[in-house]
Formats: sequence, structure tokens, C-alpha cells
Amino acid sequence: MQSLWSMKAGESCEILAYDDVLAGPYRVRLMEFGFHPGETVVCLQAPAFGAPKVYRVSNTIFSLDDEVATHIRVRVYA
Amino acid sequence: MPRVLLIGSPNSGKSLLFNRLTGLSQKVANFPGITVDVGVGTLQDMRERELVDFPGTYSLQPISAEERVAVAEFEKALENEEVEQVLCLIDATRLEKSLYFTLQVIRDCQRAGKPVTVLANMIDVLDRHSLTFDTEGLAQAVGVPVLAISARSGKGLDQIVPRLQENAGVQQGRVDGKLAGAPDELLRGEAHQLARRFGPKGDVLVRSQTRLDSFFLHSFTGGIAFFVIMFLLFQSIFTWSAPAMDAVETALAWMADLVVPLLGEGIARDFTADALFSGIGAFLVFVPQIFVLTFIVGLLEDSGYMARAALICHKPLRIFGLTGKSFVPMLSGVACAIPGIYAARAIDSPRKRLLTYMAIPLMPCSARLPVYSLLIAAFIPAGTAFGGLVGWQGLAMFGIYFFGMLCGLLVTGVVSRMSKDHFNDLPFVLELPPYRMPGLQPLLRNAWNRAMHFVTKAGKIIFTVTLVIWVLGYFPNFGADLGESWLGHLGRLIEPLFAPLGLDWRYGVAIATSFLAREVFVGTLGTIFGIEGAEENMVPLVDHIQASGMAIGSGVALLVFFAIALQCVSTLAILAKESESRSLAIKMFFGYFAFAYFAALATFHVVNLLVG
Repeated sequence: MQSLWSMKAGESCEILAYDDVLAGPYRVRLMEFGFHPGETVVCLQAPAFGAPKVYRVSNTIFSLDDEVATHIRVRVYA
Repeated sequence: MPRVLLIGSPNSGKSLLFNRLTGLSQKVANFPGITVDVGVGTLQDMRERELVDFPGTYSLQPISAEERVAVAEFEKALENEEVEQVLCLIDATRLEKSLYFTLQVIRDCQRAGKPVTVLANMIDVLDRHSLTFDTEGLAQAVGVPVLAISARSGKGLDQIVPRLQENAGVQQGRVDGKLAGAPDELLRGEAHQLARRFGPKGDVLVRSQTRLDSFFLHSFTGGIAFFVIMFLLFQSIFTWSAPAMDAVETALAWMADLVVPLLGEGIARDFTADALFSGIGAFLVFVPQIFVLTFIVGLLEDSGYMARAALICHKPLRIFGLTGKSFVPMLSGVACAIPGIYAARAIDSPRKRLLTYMAIPLMPCSARLPVYSLLIAAFIPAGTAFGGLVGWQGLAMFGIYFFGMLCGLLVTGVVSRMSKDHFNDLPFVLELPPYRMPGLQPLLRNAWNRAMHFVTKAGKIIFTVTLVIWVLGYFPNFGADLGESWLGHLGRLIEPLFAPLGLDWRYGVAIATSFLAREVFVGTLGTIFGIEGAEENMVPLVDHIQASGMAIGSGVALLVFFAIALQCVSTLAILAKESESRSLAIKMFFGYFAFAYFAALATFHVVNLLVG
């Protein structure tokens, strides 16, 4: 199982679950933004030097850093 | 007066709608304990109703302390009998993000018996892309009216007042609709379903945004764009606001020239010339800078670029406990800490905003420049190295600038690690809003409000402290000799404190007066050494300092002291106001003084050891 942070630009994935280490309120906030389990997410940009990556979920674009994105489990579409 | 609440998630166009409905007649207030602006204005077409603009929030389930206060205030407002109804604004182009919050608002309004109307904004964007949004279907599903509007073009705004009039004076009572008892988890799933059923289909809206992002966030083109934009921002604070700042100074000097001669000789004349005009000038001169910076920062925010800039800077600043959003306030702090502290309002995380407040006063502001120039000219040789490529004085100036920035980052890094669990922080999940053409009027209004906030709030404190220092420097000998004034005695009193740095009472007095503004240090030393106009021409003062036999270790120690110490009354006043915490300003003043003193003491001994 991969994490959202491991995605490369242009890849799509389905959100599977959140790691338990991700604090409850953070999980709630992510779901408020549309990062539900089962939702499709597209990685639009993966900038150099470990800068936060850019993801599209529904019709909204968000940037997540590794502290959050590492704890979102995904299945990358082939 | 009966009130209408306007609530919505961030980036939904709430400020623009508020300005449209009230005709920009906004006055700004703060919630107690935090800095969350609440705009209040009279509805233009319903003069007997006030519109209250609540801060944008993503959810009624708060994470940070600031969100908790905002949500608690909303819940309290729903219990208030003066609050008649609620307008809930959503972004029709990104429905899912807005709908969960909207359902929470509808639920809480139904429980409190307040009628609510949903306003689906940015309908002009959908029209432009031939997309549709089923407002009637959504209205039926959620059980409240949904109006399609565009705050930008004005489309559909004429429906709002008739709707408000329909609800005016109606005592609805608790509504037991299907949402009234719904828990948050259920609403989240419901929002997801409703967005899919009634929202616009396709990805045409994000395609143009993605194209621009591939330029602005590209490792190469994005880097160049970032550098150019930040260079322009820095220029705006340093260079573009300079003519206006000069104009303020000239106007005050002209008024002083006009008024002072009429007062004859004596206390009244000296008070008017030195305390009144200097006191007013001490804070009015910052107004153009605050106005220009607020305008440019607003432009970057409203255009959507600010979020991209925050993303670019996030990674390196995170090492020091800061966020990408800290960059612009810190860069502004290189010109002047005051506009920088104002710019820190854009940081949504209270913890990171506090850390940014701590870093800003350590940025090498322009007021330090005359002090650095004087001390470097007096103590650093004018020679060059590497075949004339590098001048020692230039290198020293670069070094002391870099030292200040490094101290700022180190302080935040240490404090951040020491207080990791003391705050409830927000995760770095940054919404990248669509690129938009900002509206000029709201930007100008916001810049004006911020400048007036500075004049009315910080101005009083700055003026009072200026007066106190004037009284100490003027009495008991009526300005005849600064060295024999109460301030002079204070300088001698604190001489033992600065003696370990090799500094005598004259430098103690100059450091004490530099509390007004750092550059006053130069003028005070000039007065003590009996040199007229030392601020304009430092050469005679440099000669006097060199002739006084002061050791190079003391000069470099003073440089280090000025790089760290927070002896600026304007910065402290605005820090206390913006953080809503006097104790923070006081702790920072004494903390940075101690840090500056011991760093200067260490420098004094190390330099003396090196030069023998």
C-alpha cells in the first residue's frame, strides 16, 4: 500500500485509509476538504527539493506536505 | 438594530459580497483574545438592518484555538435575539468543499430557529464555461432557499434583499428538519452526495488553473517568477513608499516651521517642536509603508498567488518551525517590522503566526541601517581583498544582515522545538484558489483600514512613550544639556550594565533613546559629541568615536547588540495589538535584550582576544 506522498506528478489514486498516527482533527479536516476514503485524487505537481505536492480532489486543488500526505494510504491506478 | 449574519468558507468571495451589499461601509472589530476581523456594515437597500461579516472557516468543527473562538462566537450569535437571519455563502464552482460547512450552518440555524439562505456564488464563472448548477434541486434537498449569484458581476444580487425582507421579523422557532439532529459524520457523507448530484460536472474549471500552476510552481519558471514577484514586493516597501514617507515628513516639517515660530522661546516651543511633531512623525511616517504593503499583499492574496508563494517557501522554513506563509511577513520585516507584523495576519496557524512574530523583529530592518553604517565606518577598515573584489566594510554589512536573519530563524527553531505540544496546530493542507483578477476597491479599502488601525491603535502608545522620553531628556535643565538631563542620569545609572562591553555612559544614553527608533542612536551620539546633523553626515561623528579610543571589540559588540535587541517602541506597540498580548511584547523585549546583551558580551571578548 502506497502513501499519497509517494505519488508522482500525473498519477491518479484512490484513497484507502488514514494512518492512526494522523491526529483525529486532521483526518476530519482532510475529509472536509474532500479527501474521503474511496475518493480519486490526482497528483498535479511534485516540485523539487521535497516541497509540498499539489493534488486535485473533486474540483479543488490542494497542497499537502509530507507530514500529512505520508499518512494517507492510497492505491495508485495503473 | 436587527442583524443578518454573513458566513462562508475561505475563498468563497465573502468580502466582495459584503462590500457589494454594504457599499464598502465596513468597520472592523476584533474578537476578544484573538485577531479575527468581523466586519459590520449597514445593508445598502435595507438601512434598518446590519450585515455582520463572520471570518471564513472551513467547518464548525474547529481545530485551532482561533477557530474555536470564531465558532463559539457564531454559536453565541445564533442565540442573540438581534440576529434575525443568516446568509451562507458557498463557492458554486467547488461545491463539495463548501457544502459540508453549509449543511452544518443549516443544521445549527434550524436548531436555533434562524432562517438561512444559501448564496451560490461565482455563477458567472459557471456561465462562462457553459456549466450548470441545479440550485432548485439543491434547495429542495437541503430544505432552504438557494440563490445563484455573482458577487463580482452583480448577477443575482437583486434576489437577496427581497429574500431578507421576506424573513424580516419572522420568529421561526426551532425547525425539526432532517438536518436538525444530524451528526457531523452524516453531514459529511450527505455533502459528498449532494455535490455529485447538483454540482457542475467536468474538470474544465481546474484546467486553466492547472496550466498556470505548471508555470508558477515549476522548479525553474516558478523559481524565477517567485524571485521577480518578491523583488517587486520588497521594492514596493522600500522604494515605492519612500516618496510618500518623505512627503509625510516634509508636510510635518512644514507645519512645524509654520507653528513653532509663533510660540516664542521656552517649554511650549520645545515641546511642540521636539515632542509633539516628533511624536506624531514617529508613527505617521510608517502609514504609507503599511498602506502600500497591505495593498500588495492583498493583491497577491486575491489573485491567488500568495498560496503558491507559501507552497514554494514552505519546506525550508518548516525546518525552523515556520510555514511558507511566514516568508512574506519576514521579507517585509527587512524593510520595517511593523508592516511585516501586519502581513503575518495571513498565517492561519496561531502557532506559526506567533513564531513569525518572534522572527520579524530580528530581520535587519531599515532603521538599523544608519546604526550599522556608523559603526562599520568607525570600526571596520575601508580596505579591500581578493584584488579589490570584496570590500571589508561591505562584507561586514552583509555579515550583520545575514546574522540578524540567522538569529530570527534560530530563535524560532529553538522555541518551536521547546514548545511543541503547547499549541493545537493546523496541518499544512493549503487550498490553492483559482487565479482571479483582484478588485481594486476592496484592496484600497483594506489597505486604508489597516493604515487607520495602525494610527488609532499603535499611534497612542508610540506617542505616549515619545513624550516620556522627551520629558526625561528635557528636564531638569530645560534641554540645555542632554548629558545633565534625567535621561543623562539614567545613562550613567545604566553605565555599569554596558561597561563590560567597553561602553561608557554616552552610549548608554544613546541606546536608551534608540528605544524610540533605532536610528535615533546616531542623532543622540551626535548631540552628546556636539555635532550638528550627524544623521545626514556621519564623518565627523565617526572621527569622534575613533578618537574617543573605543576598542574594536566594543564596536562589533554594539553591532551585534543592535542586530538582536528589540528596542523599538513602534514594533512593540503593534506586536502587543496584533497578538492581543501585552505580555508577549514585554517578554520579547526583555528576552531579546538579554539575548542581545550576552551575544554582544561574548563578541566583545572574542574580538578582543583575536585582535590582541
